[in-house]
Amino acid sequence: MAAQPKPLPVHQPSYLEGGGIVGWLTTIDHKRVAVMYLASALFFMAFGGLEAMAIRVQLWHPDNHALSAATYNAFFTMHGTTMIFLVVMPLLLGFLGNFLIPLQIGARDVAFPRLNALSFWLALVAGILLHLGWIRGGLPDAGWFGYANLTERYFTPGLAIDWWVVGLLVSGTSTVLTGLNFLTTIIAMRAPGMTYMRMPMFIWSLLVTSILILIAFPALTIGLIFLLFDRFFDTHFYVASAGATPILWQHLFWLFGHPEVYIMALPAFGIISEVIPTFSRKPLFGYPMMAYSICLIAFLSYGVWGHHMFATGMGPVADSAFAITSMLIAIPTGVKVFSWIATVWGGSLRMTTAFYFALGMILEFTIGGLSGIMHASAPIDLQQTDSYFVVAHFHYVLFGGAMFAILSAFYYWWPKITGRMLGERIGKWHFWLTVVGFNVTFFPMHIVGMWGMPRRTYTYGADMGWTHLNQLETVGAFILGIAFLLFYINIFKSLIGGERAPADPWDGRSLEWSTPSPPPAYNFATIPQIRGRDAWWILKYGRAGSRGVAAYMSGQTPTLSQAAQPVDVEHIHMPAPSIFPLVMSLGVGTMGLGLIIDWYRIVIIGAVVVVLSIIGMGFEYADFGQESHDPEHAPSSGGIDVRKIGIWSFIGSECVFFASLISTFIVYKSRSVTGPGPEILNIPLTSFSTFILLMSSLLMVLALAATQRGDKRWERIWLGGTVLFGLIFLCGQVYEFTSFMHEGMGLTTNLFSQSFFVLVGFHGAHVAIGVLWLSVLLVAAMTGNLGKSRALSVELAGLYWHFVDVVWIIIFTLVYLMQAVPGA
Amino acid sequence: MSDIADTHGGQVHHPGAATYLIIAAFLVVLTAMEITVFYVHALRPVLVPVLIVLAAAKFALVAMFYMHLKYDGWLLTGVFVFPLMMAGILLLALILLFAYLSNHMAPIG
Repeated sequence: MAAQPKPLPVHQPSYLEGGGIVGWLTTIDHKRVAVMYLASALFFMAFGGLEAMAIRVQLWHPDNHALSAATYNAFFTMHGTTMIFLVVMPLLLGFLGNFLIPLQIGARDVAFPRLNALSFWLALVAGILLHLGWIRGGLPDAGWFGYANLTERYFTPGLAIDWWVVGLLVSGTSTVLTGLNFLTTIIAMRAPGMTYMRMPMFIWSLLVTSILILIAFPALTIGLIFLLFDRFFDTHFYVASAGATPILWQHLFWLFGHPEVYIMALPAFGIISEVIPTFSRKPLFGYPMMAYSICLIAFLSYGVWGHHMFATGMGPVADSAFAITSMLIAIPTGVKVFSWIATVWGGSLRMTTAFYFALGMILEFTIGGLSGIMHASAPIDLQQTDSYFVVAHFHYVLFGGAMFAILSAFYYWWPKITGRMLGERIGKWHFWLTVVGFNVTFFPMHIVGMWGMPRRTYTYGADMGWTHLNQLETVGAFILGIAFLLFYINIFKSLIGGERAPADPWDGRSLEWSTPSPPPAYNFATIPQIRGRDAWWILKYGRAGSRGVAAYMSGQTPTLSQAAQPVDVEHIHMPAPSIFPLVMSLGVGTMGLGLIIDWYRIVIIGAVVVVLSIIGMGFEYADFGQESHDPEHAPSSGGIDVRKIGIWSFIGSECVFFASLISTFIVYKSRSVTGPGPEILNIPLTSFSTFILLMSSLLMVLALAATQRGDKRWERIWLGGTVLFGLIFLCGQVYEFTSFMHEGMGLTTNLFSQSFFVLVGFHGAHVAIGVLWLSVLLVAAMTGNLGKSRALSVELAGLYWHFVDVVWIIIFTLVYLMQAVPGA
Repeated sequence: MSDIADTHGGQVHHPGAATYLIIAAFLVVLTAMEITVFYVHALRPVLVPVLIVLAAAKFALVAMFYMHLKYDGWLLTGVFVFPLMMAGILLLALILLFAYLSNHMAPIG
């Protein structure tokens, strides 16, 4: 039975101790993974910051040539790409999310620790790929938004965009794995008693952010895959002369891009919702409405992407719809701002640096939000599009919102993470220089934007009247640079000799403050029983409110350390370290590198490493495929195994992936300017393939049923049958593709052929992966390594297989049987 | 033989072979109906709605019975259905947006 968190023995090695270099390279501890995210993000933040300062130097005076136009383009591209994909998201999710989710929900780790390590290594590989242009081929220079058809090889030859495409594909994969992991962790691994409405607001924000990641990133992945095909295999997904439209990229990009803003903003809201109550010494005002607001913001954020595209001419109906949803999103956002203010109101305030940054975030983000509402109105947006007003707006949102929150989080949770305090005095200097530098840099951009200064401009004429405000902005940028220099100094000073941090330096409210600073590897000696919101506060003071506080402050209430009861921690088994995440990431990086430098043997070597690593991970632990039975920690998901939730989350994300592919096919199938169209499709053959795939699903469930009842003979027969039917389906697809080639329809023939081959080919690749997965299980069954106790392995593979089947049901209908129905 | 197989320590019940075979029969019949509708020219005016209904029925049968959503409770259904719904919105929105674009763009060439 779960119990109150008991104090730990006097000497507990922290998660930072032991293991050496190999320990860090093979770690799957969520806290160590978080620290590695922190280190890489701080490194890339220095890069991105220096690029921003170089941009401001170039704009210091009119007709300046401090940078060449090409270098300027590369710097603003890499500044945006770096700050979004390699700094803000890794800090919010990889660093803070990783470190805090298990600690705040009372768990010992995330649901999939090895997947978590893989996410980090993939993110690092992505960062390296994105920056390899420094060495060969030049830096990407088409903007962080990479608008087509500027990114086509015809307009941007060389390797620069190749690095960008492959780097972002790897980064996106890493982020989706993180989202899947966090979602499963929060659903299934909360401590007993922690209902959804008792979760810390930071956890709420990450729960919703994870869902948003799973449904937003596949659209970017598809957009990047099309671009990759255009650049590497000569297709024309974004080439107007082939009948395609570059607008497709904009839709796919902003389908990801606007939810991405909230993927960065929602965790920031969560941070502020943790910091403000602690330093106001009040519970968060309007907790339920804050939680519902997060959900509503996320839901609406998926339907507002068009406000980035008013200038493309989507028509009055679409403009109106996107304008309305964009305006509506201000309502739940406003609820949050007012709730934070109401929490501060009447509180017993402690003016720490963390609280300063939190208050700063409310003010600066609100300014960004207000200018955002202007963009929701199509006529006003048309005046502001591509002007510096937009640059001002999104920096108030992403720097004023996300970065201020991140800095607040640093000062708040740093003691827990490192066991040392950050300097408050230098912190205050850091805060005020940041506020001054930030506003001096970005507020004048509203004005020069309204005066007509275009964004992404390399230089400007002296007669435009923009000189003085640009010089002011550059001064502001250097003040901001000094502020961040102080921040890095503060971190360095803290690490080498900062004041030791107690377990609960801020008199915190959530569970992480019940652990030592820094926490041990296992987080909690005993899994806590949660009795309400602000779980740690209630454990400290009961529900006595301020009277409890008074008793605590006067020393009448025993602290946990005073009530220490040694707990046996020997029985706690944490998962063993694994080298596979690192090896698999190296395989992925090798594949990307080989693709870009056009050396396909390298790609094959990388692919082999990836496949072997996946199989190795599958069988790494002796209890693979068995239901988890943690006697201390019954899953909060009603008994459903975390792996099952994980595979369903992945399948959910795949729905959006295939929806993006299918919608592109429908849009493009009738727009070819030459060559064959849908009439070439072979209905009798694919009808046969459809029957085969449907029957393979039947065999799959029969295999699962046989495994669950321990019938090894039929387990092998049905599994073998499923593999065989899968292979027959694949053979049919190979035959179909080959016959099309003989009839003169190749990948690059026209829009129909390329969208057909990519859609059906990706489905075929999923079938091939399924066949490989089932073949491995078949070998395990034939060698006696499967059986009833490992039925979960078969069930997970089966879910994937059935999903491949239902996708084919849709493809068969929309692609083959509706071939005579014209597309959009 | 019982049609209900007891799994997961008695917490979740999955159907047995008989149910799976019945579902397979339905899938075969529905697929045959789809192909028939495709080849019968008299049904062309209702081709799209009929095919969508038949495909949706097949999709639902596989998801509910073979993927066990009917038996595994609301949580997994929610994890699947919400992204599925958003995917559907995306599909429809893109088709409509490009339909407008196609009708209002200058002819190619």
